[in-house]
Amino acid sequence: MFSGKPMKPTFKCYLPPVQTDVKKTIEPPIKKLEPKLLPGEIVVNEVNFVRKCISAESSQDDLWGKLICTNFKVSFIPQDAPPKQKSQLSHLLLGAHDIPLTCLEQVVTVNDTKGKKKVLGSNQKLKFNPTELILYCKDLRIIRFCFDEAGPESAKKVCLAIAHYSHPADLHLLFGFEYQGRRYHESKEGRVNGSTPRGGLQTPIFDRSSDWDREIKRTGASEWRVCSINENYDISPSLPEQIVVPVSLADQDLKLYSSFFTGNRIPLWCWNHPGGSALVRMASISDPLQQKKIEQRVFTAITKSHPQRSDVFRSDLDKCLPNIQDIQSAFVKVRQICVIDPFEESEERWLSSIENTRWLEHVRAFLKHSAEIVYHLDGKNASVILQEEEDRDLNCVVSSLVQLMLDPHYRSLIGFQSLVQKEWVKAGHRFLDRCNHLKKNYKEESPLFILFLDCVWQMMNQYPAAFEFTETYLTVLSDSMWIPLFSTFLFNSPKQRAQHLMDFAKNKAIPPGEDQVVYFPPVWDWSQQFSTKDQTLFNNPMYIGKGAACVQNGEVKTFKRTKQKNYSSTLRGTSASMRNGVKGADETLPRRGSLVSELKPDFSPVKDESPSERFFRDWFSRPADQQGLLIPLLIPSHVALWRLFFLRWVPEACIPKGGPVTAYHKLSQLVDEIDILQSQLRQYKGPSPGSMPLPSPGGPLSDQRRMYFKASSPNDPPTPPDFLTSSFPFTPMGNLCRRSIHGTPISKFLNGARIWLSTETLANDTV
Amino acid sequence: MSSDGLIPNETVQDMAQDVTYFCPFTGALRGTVMITNYRLFFKSMDREPAFVLDLPLGVVSRVEKIGSASSRGDVSYGLVCKDMRNLRFSHKQMEDTLRKSIFEVLIKFAFPVSNGLQIFAFEYGQVFPENGWKVYDAVSEYKRQGIPNESWRITKINDHYEMCDTYPSTLAVPVNIPDEELKRVAAFRAKGRIPVLSWIHPESQATVTRCSQPMVGVNGKRSKEDEKYLQSIMDVNAQSHKLFIFDARPSVNAAANKMKGGGYESEDAYQNAELVFLDIHNIHVMRESLRKLKDVVYPNIEDSHWLSNLESTHWLEHIKLILAGALRIADKVESGKTSVVVHCSDGWDRTAQLTSLAMLMLDGYYRTIRGFEVLLEKEWLSFGHRFQLRIGHGDKNHTDADRSPVFIQFIDCVWQLTRQFPAAFEFNEYFLVTILDHLYSCLFGTFLCNSEQQRLKEEIPKRTVSLWSYINSQLEEFTNPLYVNYSNHVLFPVVSLRHLELWVGYYIRWNPRMRPQEPVHQRYKELLAKRAELQKRVDELQREVTNRSASSSSERAGSPTRSITPVQTFV
Repeated sequence: MFSGKPMKPTFKCYLPPVQTDVKKTIEPPIKKLEPKLLPGEIVVNEVNFVRKCISAESSQDDLWGKLICTNFKVSFIPQDAPPKQKSQLSHLLLGAHDIPLTCLEQVVTVNDTKGKKKVLGSNQKLKFNPTELILYCKDLRIIRFCFDEAGPESAKKVCLAIAHYSHPADLHLLFGFEYQGRRYHESKEGRVNGSTPRGGLQTPIFDRSSDWDREIKRTGASEWRVCSINENYDISPSLPEQIVVPVSLADQDLKLYSSFFTGNRIPLWCWNHPGGSALVRMASISDPLQQKKIEQRVFTAITKSHPQRSDVFRSDLDKCLPNIQDIQSAFVKVRQICVIDPFEESEERWLSSIENTRWLEHVRAFLKHSAEIVYHLDGKNASVILQEEEDRDLNCVVSSLVQLMLDPHYRSLIGFQSLVQKEWVKAGHRFLDRCNHLKKNYKEESPLFILFLDCVWQMMNQYPAAFEFTETYLTVLSDSMWIPLFSTFLFNSPKQRAQHLMDFAKNKAIPPGEDQVVYFPPVWDWSQQFSTKDQTLFNNPMYIGKGAACVQNGEVKTFKRTKQKNYSSTLRGTSASMRNGVKGADETLPRRGSLVSELKPDFSPVKDESPSERFFRDWFSRPADQQGLLIPLLIPSHVALWRLFFLRWVPEACIPKGGPVTAYHKLSQLVDEIDILQSQLRQYKGPSPGSMPLPSPGGPLSDQRRMYFKASSPNDPPTPPDFLTSSFPFTPMGNLCRRSIHGTPISKFLNGARIWLSTETLANDTV
Repeated sequence: MSSDGLIPNETVQDMAQDVTYFCPFTGALRGTVMITNYRLFFKSMDREPAFVLDLPLGVVSRVEKIGSASSRGDVSYGLVCKDMRNLRFSHKQMEDTLRKSIFEVLIKFAFPVSNGLQIFAFEYGQVFPENGWKVYDAVSEYKRQGIPNESWRITKINDHYEMCDTYPSTLAVPVNIPDEELKRVAAFRAKGRIPVLSWIHPESQATVTRCSQPMVGVNGKRSKEDEKYLQSIMDVNAQSHKLFIFDARPSVNAAANKMKGGGYESEDAYQNAELVFLDIHNIHVMRESLRKLKDVVYPNIEDSHWLSNLESTHWLEHIKLILAGALRIADKVESGKTSVVVHCSDGWDRTAQLTSLAMLMLDGYYRTIRGFEVLLEKEWLSFGHRFQLRIGHGDKNHTDADRSPVFIQFIDCVWQLTRQFPAAFEFNEYFLVTILDHLYSCLFGTFLCNSEQQRLKEEIPKRTVSLWSYINSQLEEFTNPLYVNYSNHVLFPVVSLRHLELWVGYYIRWNPRMRPQEPVHQRYKELLAKRAELQKRVDELQREVTNRSASSSSERAGSPTRSITPVQTFV
């Protein structure tokens, strides 16, 4: 193949090109305009003297360099690389100026002098020489290149190549299939014989029955069993090979029933409540004649598996939640407002514009519906069936949200990953279509998984100590969808995955019996993308969970506002008011006298309370147990825009030396101190007292530390570090370059004040 | 606290059984009402545990009797409160027509000023370890800023409030302007509020000065002394040859003021000065905006159209304009090293908002608890923000056009800053809420009266307790554990609706579905305790090791003992 051929030296650089090898490319960069290539990656086209636009206002910060299109990415290699920003997340496989081809949403070429613009697709012609190339990315970046000094023909060729290669004709042409094969063979020597199982991956990926067995045991689902009728995907291509079903249903019956369900998807057990209620998901039954009968059998079986034999509650998600097109169109709109429209323009009516996108409304709808399901499972101890036409979209969101609310296990990092694996990957969510990696059918594209991550963020925002991972983790996970190197997001169904990986293993001469986790790893092997140090950005210092800092004697210590002195009398008015004026907040159902009906409307009518409202109000009146049931606050005022995700690239929205990260910074430092003290204690206690080793003052080795930010030291700067911005660990610099925005940065803050703009000469502004 | 739950000098005025409180969230509750000279106390045993409503009468803005002609003979009273809630009660029609309803008693004590009574703050006699009236001393605050220096002096011209009765007695002015000339400047500035120093940059010496509008009038009157005065404010800052005058008003309003004799500085008359209008609306617009906001958030938020409803109140837009103005001032002073003059019409509402917010951005001292108290005492209280008029303490005239939430808006802006810079403030959200609660409660003397002169005349510091006495006696409650005291950290917030948000912890706090907690802070405190505990154990073990090695080395004299590295401690 191509990569075997050594590359020619370019006219810019007469040194022999570096051999492409991951290990070597990670070494400190040698200053020359050579792309860092991954194993199997080849340069398709390139053009020199390209200007990458950094700021919309002036070209003074723009970077000059070479634009390259490979079979994996668009890469820009700046002539003079600016000093890398400290503490910025650095990707092991992608440089700061790289964009994977699968991450491209739209490739737009512009000719300024002719006033022409064209969105490029695959195999297209371009009748003008582009002066500009704008890349709209799926991770919401907008990157702009100018060709004013570049050779017009080569510029055009690179643009066409980018457009062409970002529209792969077939799934197996995605770069992951090339890369992972090479990587497997190249790193083979590095791997010790019989090394750790699954390549050290701790996340259960639910491809074998032991993973399901463990889950059944963990949740105490004794009336449920692992059934293997779908082995070799004999029954349904979109179901996993192992399915958990009620013990009372025999394989024979299940096989019989399966043909009536859409996609042959027999009901799928998700989770069991300690009280015995079960969460089950299922597709609809196409044949109306059989529907009642089969449903009856399934429901009976589920009821039998409940210790109290309680009735099953069915929730038809198609009827009460937005569909995938609604979600897609909301996302397109919210993206438009957040990153594409000029900052000023969207500032004008920001709140109503955000409302009009309906994104937050959808987020809230999914959370709300999931909370309703929680009420049935927990409040009523009833088993629930989530029903959806195909059981592969909305059910994924709701079933995973319900489990996140009910089961603290899924709020740990490993637990969360196993949840995605179980309810999305193995349950047959069509990642390939929904991500539209092949850019074939736009009707099928829908950011359902991002919607789910946003819902998780809302919960995390409300319960910051309940999750082991951070919003950085969620954001990085969403970005990983657009890097086609991991098996997680590439396929539509478990069967498709199995087939492709089997063919892949055959083609790449991977020995049979090798674990697919090793030869084509899922995204959960984060060491593929990030250094150990950078991975610590995933750790939430506030997390209360296994091994977290504050659990003493099995009890979570909580600190209530205590009054030190006896000034309580003065406080009384205020403390009561802080508690909603409700001292005993644990109200019961109100007695309703006839007086109520006489109330004038302006003095707050009292409405009837449903049992589920009652359940929620009761729950909210008690302090939340971060390791117990968590219900999100669903007042519209408490559902917020996920700023890190939507605004991280927007330079105008970036708070210098501010944002939630400043609190994260402080918390991480404190937790690092705690870790150091704990390791010192271990060192004291560890070996026999006679030979007590001396504690090392530095604490654990720096690469073993859990926290990204180390304990503070007297050498710390007296001012907050510059890299702490609200976008941390991402940088808006050069990642969002919309066209034609005028004015000085300071003027942007102040768009409401039009009048003074005329009286003041902005040119005189000293900024 | 006494056993009956009353605070010092609080006396029960009336009690009534069988009163119904209509809780907008959970329904009607039957219970007992007690009215004292300080509060309304409602308790219902309908629920387990008992439901309690404890309301300082100062928050009551108006009491309305609603429909006495009901078939069952019930009388209802609606209480509209200044703190974003309405309460409704009802009780049976009095059989004894001579007997007053308990709510008539409430009206008397809720509006003491209108009823010839004393505001409760004058009776409250709680003694605190710290005397909050000592928190602010003008001379020491100027000294902290390095004033007097070669360019600025302290003048005693207003010692007896003769030049300006709404200004403090201690003022800082440019050295080269003698007192005689100050008087002539005063004649040209509305209410005699001449430009005086609020803050000086420790390095560049660029200053923030505040004043009222110039009395330009329709004929474009000029004052040589005023022009010279502004010139000298510019001259004492060697770093810049320019002076920025920030007029907080929209230019149209500023121009309209000419009809009333006021106006703004013309750039012809003031050489080297540049005039900027900040477009902040007047007190009436702000009052209307908050009224709309209350409609949107209380008692319940509609499930749909939340954001557009919020937008239609324009509340966040006003917050944005105020913060944007303050940011421009801070940016001019910090990045441009240029001195600025700030005024609106009278210089006690929008001007106070702008100077104090700019100072918060510029000077980390004001972001400490005590520093913030000093900032309020200085920029708001001593410079005559008319708290009595704007809040209407004890006054039943709820439609008074002078009432306006200017100060609430300022505290909201501060909260917005704490959201964007969670580690930059020593105080927490509870501190800000407490200040607003006691803005209305009339328990403390801090926010009484309209000016320093009035406060002195009423002997407020002698006769009442300061809010800072209460707060500073239990600082722990009000401290932000995440606070990092970085020096020279100037805050440049992003003044965009993308980051501004509704302060739910204040405006929506009555909603029981809203959890009043600061989980991050709480968690941080838990972690601090954990660290302290571990540190203690490590220290103990350390001592043990030291002792053991000391004894073992004495036993085995001569054998080299390893020296003990002290355990690194982090404080």
